[in-house]
Amino acid sequence: MAWSETVYVEKLTAFSALLRQEGLAVGLQETADACQILEELDLTDRDTVRGALCAVYAKSRSEQEVFYRAFDGFFVSAERRQADLARQAAEAEELSRRQAEAEQELQVRGEPMDLRDDLRETYIRMPEEKREYLRQLMEKTRENMDRSPQLYSNFIRSVFMRFLLEQQMVMEDAAVGCEEADPDLALLWRDISGFKDADIPRAAALIARIAQQLSAQLSRRRQQGGHSGGLDFKKTIRRGLETGGTFVRLSFRRPRRRRRMLVMLCDVSGSMIQFSEFALRFLKSLSEVSDASRIFLFSEELHEVDPFALQNMDAFRDYVRSSGLYGKGTDLGTALAGLCARRPPILGPSATLLILSDTKTIDLPRALTALEEAKRQAGKVLWLNPIPERKWPYVRSIQTVASLCQMAPCSTLEELGRACGRLMRM
Amino acid sequence: MDVTTLRAKLDDAHYIYDESLVTTLLVALKLGRPLLIEGAAGVGKTEIAKVMAAALDRELVRLQCYEGLDESKALYEWNYQKQLLSIQAHMGARSPEELTKSLFSDEYLLERPLLRSIRSQEPVVLLIDEIDKADEEFEAFLLELLSEMQVTIPEIGTIRARSIPFVVLTSNRTRPLSEALRRRCAYLYIQYPDLEKEVAIIKARRPNVNEHLAVQVARAVQTLRDSQTILKKPSIAETLDWVAALEALGVSDLTPEAAERTKGFVLKSSEDLEAMAAAGDGCGGEDGHCGHCRQGAAEAPGGADEPPQGRPTLKVPRAL
Repeated sequence: MAWSETVYVEKLTAFSALLRQEGLAVGLQETADACQILEELDLTDRDTVRGALCAVYAKSRSEQEVFYRAFDGFFVSAERRQADLARQAAEAEELSRRQAEAEQELQVRGEPMDLRDDLRETYIRMPEEKREYLRQLMEKTRENMDRSPQLYSNFIRSVFMRFLLEQQMVMEDAAVGCEEADPDLALLWRDISGFKDADIPRAAALIARIAQQLSAQLSRRRQQGGHSGGLDFKKTIRRGLETGGTFVRLSFRRPRRRRRMLVMLCDVSGSMIQFSEFALRFLKSLSEVSDASRIFLFSEELHEVDPFALQNMDAFRDYVRSSGLYGKGTDLGTALAGLCARRPPILGPSATLLILSDTKTIDLPRALTALEEAKRQAGKVLWLNPIPERKWPYVRSIQTVASLCQMAPCSTLEELGRACGRLMRM
Repeated sequence: MDVTTLRAKLDDAHYIYDESLVTTLLVALKLGRPLLIEGAAGVGKTEIAKVMAAALDRELVRLQCYEGLDESKALYEWNYQKQLLSIQAHMGARSPEELTKSLFSDEYLLERPLLRSIRSQEPVVLLIDEIDKADEEFEAFLLELLSEMQVTIPEIGTIRARSIPFVVLTSNRTRPLSEALRRRCAYLYIQYPDLEKEVAIIKARRPNVNEHLAVQVARAVQTLRDSQTILKKPSIAETLDWVAALEALGVSDLTPEAAERTKGFVLKSSEDLEAMAAAGDGCGGEDGHCGHCRQGAAEAPGGADEPPQGRPTLKVPRAL
C-alpha cells in the first residue's frame, strides 16, 4: 500500500471514529466501503466525495445531518482552516472580555455572588439583552441595599439563580443549532414551551406523523401477538379444503383485546397550558391508544371535558379560558381527590391514569396522599413531566412523585412521542 | 460503470436527477449494496428502480410489501395441489422415501419475486417497494438475502444467487426500519423537487407541454406543498396528471376557472379541497390576472413570490 493510501485510510478511520462518537453506528464494514469507494471512483470533487461518503455512512435523514456536520468539520480546506483559526481567536478574545465584565457584574455589596460555576458560565455566554435585563433589575432595587443588606443579597441571588437556570435551559436546547438545516427535525428536539405561533402548524403535522408511526407499530405488535392456543376448528377445516382435506395449515384463535380506559388529568395552569395542548393533540392522534378515554383539566379546580370540544387548538384554548381554569395556581391534591371521589367510579383496575403536570403544586403532602389513593384505585399510573429530565434531581417534588409512580419526560415532541409509545405498551 | 455512463443512461431514460442521486447510485452499484430510498410519498422513489432497470438494461422484479407479507408470498411456496396430485398418482408405484424426496424438488417449487431475482441467469433489478409496510420479522428475514445474497429453504437447503441483483428498497417512513437493515444498505433521501427541477420533469415527461403552463403548474404545486393547511402534499405523478388534464382540456394558461375544473387531479382529499376553497384568493393566474391576484400580490409580505404563510394560493409569477 502506498504512503498516501495509508494516510487516507488512517484519516477515514479517524473520521469513522468521530462519527461513532457522534452516535452513528459505524463499523469496520463502513470504513472499508468508504476506502473502496474512494479508490474505485477516484473522486476529486469535494462535494462528490461528501455525497459518496454520506451514502456509505449515513443511514437515515437525521444521520445525514450529523454526517454533514462532521464531514464539514473534519475535512476542511487550508483557507477554511485559517478562517476558523482567526474566528476562534476572535471568539476567545471576546469571551475573556465578557468574563472580565461578568466578574464585575456578578457582585453584591462588593462581594462575589454565591453562584455555581455553570451558572456563571451561562451568564458569560448569554445574549447581551438578557444581561442588560439583570443589570437593570439590580439598578432598580439598589436603594434597598442599605435598608436591609442581607435580605437584598439573598433576593438578588435568588433572582439571578432563577433567571440563569431558565437561560441555561434555553441555551441547552440542543435543536437550536440544526434549525436551519432541517426545521422539522429541529422542532422534534426543541423545548415545547419555546414554540412560537408560527411553529404550531408544523408541530401539528409532525405530531400526526409520529402518531402514525406509533399506531403502525402498535398494529403490527397486535398482529404479531400470536394465537391464544385455541384451535379455530371452523377456519382450519375451511382452509383444509384447499389442500384436499389435509390440514396443512392450522388456524388459531386470536387473543381477545382487552378494553382499556384511559383517564387523562391535565394541568392547565399558566405554565402548563402549552404542554397540555400538545399532549392532548398527541393522544387524540393515537386512536389506537385506548378504546375509551376521559379527559379532565385542572388548575385549582377539576373540570371534565368532552373530547369533541378539543378537536383543535383554538377550541381547546377557548374552552380553558371560558372555564375559568386559566391563570390560576395548581392544586393537584384537590384534583386527584375529586377524581377518586367521583361516583360512579372513574378509576378502576382496567383504567390507566395519565397525569400531565410539572409536579409544582400547592400543599404537596396532600397531593401525595391523593396520588397514593389514585394509584390504589387505578390499574396503572403514568406521569408525563414537561420539565427536562436533567433538571429532575434539582426539584424535590419531582423526586418525591417519581418514587410513587412511573414518570416520563415530555419536554420535547420527541420525548412526548416516546412517552406515548410507552403508554401504548402498558 | 462510471459517472459519465450512468448520467448518459439516466438521460436516455428521461430521468431528471441531481448530483447527489447519481453519486449515491454509483456508490451502491460499485459496492454491490442494496439502495434504501426514503422520502415522502410521490417523490419518485419507485421510479428510480424502474429507471435503473432501463439504464442497466435489466429486468425489473418487483415485490410490493404489505402487512402480513411472509415468505410464501415473497420467496417461495410449495405447490400443495400439485404435490397432493402427485402423491395420489404415484402411490404404490414408487417407494415412500423416493416419493417424499421428489415432492420437494424444483418441479413443485413456486418461485416468488425474491427467489426469482436471485435464480435468474441474467442479473435483474429487484424492487422491494414500501418495506415499511411489511412486518419486522420480514425485515429480519431479508437480512440474509441482502447481505449474503442467498436464501435458505428448509427442505432444499441454501440457495446462492446465480446473479447479483441490484436491490432497491423504498420506504415512506410510516415506521422506523431496523438498524440491521439500514446498515446493509446505501442510503438516499429524496425530497420534493424544487421549482426548476419540477419544470424540467414536466417538460421531460410531457414534451409537448406549453412552457408557460409548465411553469405555472410547477409554481402552483410548489405553493400547495409549502402550505401548512394542505395535508396530502401533491406528488410528482399528480403534477404530471394535472398537466395532462389541462392539456386534454386544451388549456394553455392556468386561469382560476381551469384550476377549479381540474383541481381534483392535484388535491385528493375533501379537507384539502376545502382548505383551498377557504383560502379564496387562489386563482392560478399571473400577477394581476384578476382582482384576487392583485390583492394577493399587494398583501404578500415579499411581493408576488411570497404568498401569505399557511394559505394555499395558486399564484404563478411571470418568471421562474
